[in-house]
Amino acid sequence: MIQVENLTKRYGQHVAVDAIDFTVETGEILGFLGPNGAGKTTTMNILTGYISATEGKAMINGIDVLEQPEEAKKMIGYLPEFPPLYGDMIVTEYLDFVSDIKGVTGSDRKKSMEKIMDLVKIGDVRGRLIKNLSKGYKQRVGLAQCLIGNPEVLILDEPTVGLDPKQIIEIRNLIKDLGKDHTVILSSHILPEVSAVCERVIIINKGKIVASDTPENLSKGLAGSSKLNLRIAGPEKQIMKAINELPGIQYLESQGSREPGTIDVVVEADPNVDIRRPLFNAMSRASYPILMMKSMDLTLEEIFLQVTTQEKEVG
Amino acid sequence: MLAIMKKEFLTYFKSMTGYIFMASLLFFVGLFFVLNNLMSLSPQYNGVLSNITFVFLLAVPILTMRLMAEEARQKTDQLLLTSPISLTHIVLGKFLGAVSVLLMTLVITFIYPIILSTMGTINWGEIIGGYIGFFLFGSALIAVGLFISSLTDNQVIAAVVTFTALLLLWFIDAIINSLPTDQTSGLIFAAILVIGIAFVFYMATRNWYVGGGILLIGALAVAAGYIIRPYLYSGLIGRVFSWFSLLSRYQDFSMGIFSISPIVYYISFAGVFIFLTVRMLEKKRWS
Repeated sequence: MIQVENLTKRYGQHVAVDAIDFTVETGEILGFLGPNGAGKTTTMNILTGYISATEGKAMINGIDVLEQPEEAKKMIGYLPEFPPLYGDMIVTEYLDFVSDIKGVTGSDRKKSMEKIMDLVKIGDVRGRLIKNLSKGYKQRVGLAQCLIGNPEVLILDEPTVGLDPKQIIEIRNLIKDLGKDHTVILSSHILPEVSAVCERVIIINKGKIVASDTPENLSKGLAGSSKLNLRIAGPEKQIMKAINELPGIQYLESQGSREPGTIDVVVEADPNVDIRRPLFNAMSRASYPILMMKSMDLTLEEIFLQVTTQEKEVG
Repeated sequence: MLAIMKKEFLTYFKSMTGYIFMASLLFFVGLFFVLNNLMSLSPQYNGVLSNITFVFLLAVPILTMRLMAEEARQKTDQLLLTSPISLTHIVLGKFLGAVSVLLMTLVITFIYPIILSTMGTINWGEIIGGYIGFFLFGSALIAVGLFISSLTDNQVIAAVVTFTALLLLWFIDAIINSLPTDQTSGLIFAAILVIGIAFVFYMATRNWYVGGGILLIGALAVAAGYIIRPYLYSGLIGRVFSWFSLLSRYQDFSMGIFSISPIVYYISFAGVFIFLTVRMLEKKRWS
């Protein structure tokens, strides 16, 4: 369990983290969402004892990170934004070193190392120099490093950055599995990732928590503004005109033709109008077949705009 | 601590640094052994060691520039600082890793006194004493380099600054001789010292009362000292600077005298810089 109370970090005049409070229950996977410079990494660095907080408390299973750092750090596995790897070491040598400094001893040390290498699938590069590995492998060696010693709490700073899509899915599934018997905090700026993996999401902006909820609730609140991306076969002018005549259209943009004889358009409707059916009917009547319709993924910036404006309305 | 020491030691031999350090030291020991002992048929081995202390000027920065700076640059310090080991153990491990390279080199050079001993009688006690002095002298310099390496995340800067600092330590005796020794300049120097210390305390605590209090107490003490025992201030500057004179403390060893006070001095000198390194890392976490 992780408890954070009134955590503040100031760099001179600049407030990086501004009096945030949150709790992560044992076995929960918490997503940390925010743009660059929002304070995600700073919060994680404080939680892991890498830097000190200016004010406030961070506790891991009831142990204060500042007061009993060594006790607390034993329970944490940390994957920083840039995996802390020694390029001159080979993979097994590196993991051996990490086991040493994390105080992993005993007969099953070798076995658990093998298990971890299996888990993150780095067995085939075990004998290679880390500096020669690809970004994806480096990321996975970093992940292996944080699993050594089987810590109860895992803190992962953007764990899927630099991985290819297949690896991203693998790592997400791995994190989900780990979440069954670990407490996990993971940061990301990719919304689908957070909603795929996390049970709860905290959105942080300018050092403050602006929203904290389950991914479902967050996207329900945000569903209103979903944009549609369409590909329609037919002449551009007529199609644009037909869509524009529909009630509740807020925004319409042609993105040109990407397939011969078709045009791509982006449509945004009023939050309380589901535009999909009227759109289909209109196009069908005019016999302009819709070849593709998908809702565009909300970008982080859009979520932010929404969350911050909501805050203002409440305030 | 042992894990870090082992890692540092092995890292030296994964790149050129360990080899360069050993090669330069071994080359000059060999050279001076041939010149001092073989060519001039002398059994005095300690002269060789004191002749090559200057190699430390270049060799120590090579050895220490990487220690902390590279960890900071590669962000691997995140691994060390978030592991359940204390800062003191991290720093000590790194120090011992560098020192063990020096120790290994010295063990290899031990072949020369053995060669000498086959050709005549040599004073083993004197030679071992000389080795202990030489080793501790090198360790003290390594501690200085370690500290400087913790100030930056650039190896080249660390190396250049370490070289400059060691050069300054080298010439400190010559500098001391040309410093004024009269009472007035001693008083001015003491006043500057007090202001400096008060300023450091103010910067560290950001508290006007602490800085001002120290300034006031220091000024009173300096003034009282000047009134009661003004002779204390003659030669004060030289005395203070001679605290940093590592080389003058090596004289005994090069003459074959084994004395405890330089040993204690070198160990405490290294201890101070190790302590400062720990404080430096601690400060980085707070700023």
